[in-house]
Amino acid sequence: MGAPVLTHSVEVPRIPVGQWFESTINWLRANLGFVFDLIGEVIGASVDFLSVLLTAPSATFLTLIAAAVVTKGLLEGRGRRATAVLWGAFLLLYLAELLFGAAAAVIGSMPAPLFVWAMELFGAEYVYPPLVLALLLLTALAVAVFATKAPRRQRYTAIGAVAALLAVLTLHFVVGVQIDLITLLLLAALAWVVSGWRLALFSVLGFLLIVSMDKWQDAMSSLALILVATVVAVVVAVPIGVLAAYSNKLSGVLKPVLDFMQTLPAFVYLIPAIFFFGIGQVPGVIATVIFAMPPGVRLTELGIRQVDKELVEAGEAFGAPDLQILRQIQLPLALTTIMAGINQVIMLSLSMVVIAGMVGAGGLGNVVYSGIARSDMPLGFEGGIAVVVLAIYLDRLTGAVTRYSPALRAQKAQAG
Amino acid sequence: MPAVRASNLYKVFGKRAPKAVELLSDGRHRDEIRELDVTAAVIDVSFEVEPGEIFVVMGLSGSGKSTLIRMLNGLLPPTAGSVEVDGTNISALPKRALRTLRGEKISMVFQHFALFPHRTVLENAAYGLEVRGVPRAERHERARHALGLVGLEGWEDKVPQQLSGGMQQRVGLARALTADTDIILMDEAFSALDPLIRRDMQTQLLQLQAELGKTIIFITHDLNEAMRLGDRICVLRDGRVAQIGTAEEILSQPANDYVAQFTEDVDRTRVFTASSVMEPPIPVIDPGHGPRAALRTMRENQTVTAFVVHRDRRLVGVVREEAIGEAVRTGVKDLEGLVVADVERVHPDTAVADLFQQAALSPYPLAVVDDDERLVGVIPRVTLLAALAPGASEDEQAPEGADDLVAAAAPNGAARSEGADGSEGGQR
Repeated sequence: MGAPVLTHSVEVPRIPVGQWFESTINWLRANLGFVFDLIGEVIGASVDFLSVLLTAPSATFLTLIAAAVVTKGLLEGRGRRATAVLWGAFLLLYLAELLFGAAAAVIGSMPAPLFVWAMELFGAEYVYPPLVLALLLLTALAVAVFATKAPRRQRYTAIGAVAALLAVLTLHFVVGVQIDLITLLLLAALAWVVSGWRLALFSVLGFLLIVSMDKWQDAMSSLALILVATVVAVVVAVPIGVLAAYSNKLSGVLKPVLDFMQTLPAFVYLIPAIFFFGIGQVPGVIATVIFAMPPGVRLTELGIRQVDKELVEAGEAFGAPDLQILRQIQLPLALTTIMAGINQVIMLSLSMVVIAGMVGAGGLGNVVYSGIARSDMPLGFEGGIAVVVLAIYLDRLTGAVTRYSPALRAQKAQAG
Repeated sequence: MPAVRASNLYKVFGKRAPKAVELLSDGRHRDEIRELDVTAAVIDVSFEVEPGEIFVVMGLSGSGKSTLIRMLNGLLPPTAGSVEVDGTNISALPKRALRTLRGEKISMVFQHFALFPHRTVLENAAYGLEVRGVPRAERHERARHALGLVGLEGWEDKVPQQLSGGMQQRVGLARALTADTDIILMDEAFSALDPLIRRDMQTQLLQLQAELGKTIIFITHDLNEAMRLGDRICVLRDGRVAQIGTAEEILSQPANDYVAQFTEDVDRTRVFTASSVMEPPIPVIDPGHGPRAALRTMRENQTVTAFVVHRDRRLVGVVREEAIGEAVRTGVKDLEGLVVADVERVHPDTAVADLFQQAALSPYPLAVVDDDERLVGVIPRVTLLAALAPGASEDEQAPEGADDLVAAAAPNGAARSEGADGSEGGQR
């Protein structure tokens, strides 16, 4: 049997969908290019910053992180004003230092022996002002914790943060342990605090495996990309989800759009992403955001809608404005569901890592991609294993946060 | 000025609500306008609630009571009609002013408590003040006080999940009390609690009300609860007001068959008091009269017992026909010595339920005396039994002396049928 002869073929006009898409993109690029440039700059800078922080953190950053941990405790209890003043003073001095070298002058006017030990610690020839400022801030915050009648838990947190910082600085700058292992330990410690010893043990072993495969730098660069993509996705997704929960119309419009974003093959929107942002990490992040965002929107909407209507009514009945109801009632109660959404966002971002590697985002994606390109089986497999380790770590970590119900959180806060 | 006034309130859900209101105001039933594809929840409801009153809105599910209460604090805008709170028409208020008014004048207690699970009991109770921007220390202080009022000292730092249902609703009540509004709306507040705890809560609410003098609008589907709590009760049926009145009015003069049917199962012995079932004391005998005069009075009224009262109606006691007859025969000139002073006396406000034991122990009708020992009425046993019959309370006040005779002489079974006859006869 031959092919059927089409005697009555109906003329279906060719709709140039692809061309339309292209011309839209062109128009956007031509007219709103500066917006994309700005977005690209911000995202690129964030990813770079995070990669550096994860692979080669400076002592100043570590000190600031410790200060942030102490601040978190202070913000929960009393002493908010003091904390704000301290951070404000720090930021002012830091800006002044950047602009005029004022901090150096201030420090220079102080008695030198104060800083000599610190500088010896880092083997520095001169006093490095930002580090000194950060150390001063941390000291002041620690003092503030003990000066105000802070709960015992906060004091332990403060002591722990300072001790951990000193340990890290000593290990790296004095003993000379490579920073990879220290970051590894810090990530494991985070796992311990948030989830428990099982995850901590797993992360030590898993990350050691990554280090031994010599994929640590790539893994951390991928982690940075994922974190930035997640943050962007959440920042976009949660407000959209909230709006969708309020408006059935918007919800109806969003549904097909979200389906579109999730099912359109990722390679397809890599092309315009490159067109807008060029090769590199930024299109990787953008593609990841587009692909990973939908569950964030969906679960936020679901979470807000699931909040008991009577509770919202209670807020209204006592005269609370809508925004206050959203902030104090709906969001906290939807948090468990929203966190489940964020967990999904992270997981989907991970699955995009390899595709992002194709557009030159670097990291593990790059490893896997070159493994494919060169038919290098060991290389591809090692990259894949590293992705799996990262995935399990991030999933369990966010999952542990999800498990706390609102009531549990209140109980925990009360116990502290 | 009434605390809350609802005037011709309508709430109709659906696109063609205005048309529906027009039809409904002509007296159509809500089932008749089904083709408009609207849901008429509240139809032409008007009432006034005085300050310090407990006003109960009662109706079965679907009668529109929840919708009604949500219009009273503006959670739902009425389709037609108006709600006034302290003289302010809240339907006309802009959103912000309405919120302020809710915060300052009307708080609410919810059926399923609606406590915030992510806040402690204390923070829950302080919520109303938090919304109003009262500083933390002060609002916690006042919340503590309110929690004390409802008997929850020592539970401030728990979260609602750790409390039993009854305690959770106490927190809900404390939240409303802390807000310190004059008006409290209670939406089926005790319906989710089990019966024993519900009773406790009702008692507590009545105590608090006596102490604080709030205006309470209470929604329930439980008539017994309504009767127990309400100074006045508004019975809703299919969105319309079936009757507004005190518990006794609703029981004794039901406006229609629906209300009458509804009230059939009520434990009327708890609603009716001695004063509402008592009969006029006929005949009475002056202690100054002789036995002969007394006997004649009793024969005239065909009764075997009669109460002896002073001219100012102060009760002396009761006399029996047999004893008087005996005295007449033996020629005793004085009633003194024949009067049984040890007669059961009850106060007019005593609930009928509390009369049975006394009635069973006494061979005479119960004497209803006021605070000054004045006889205001009598309750023969037959009357007491007749009061249990639905819809009979007004009629059975009619019986004449004959009933007394029966009451004293006949066994209870006969007395009951007699009482029933009396009520059907509808004398008076």
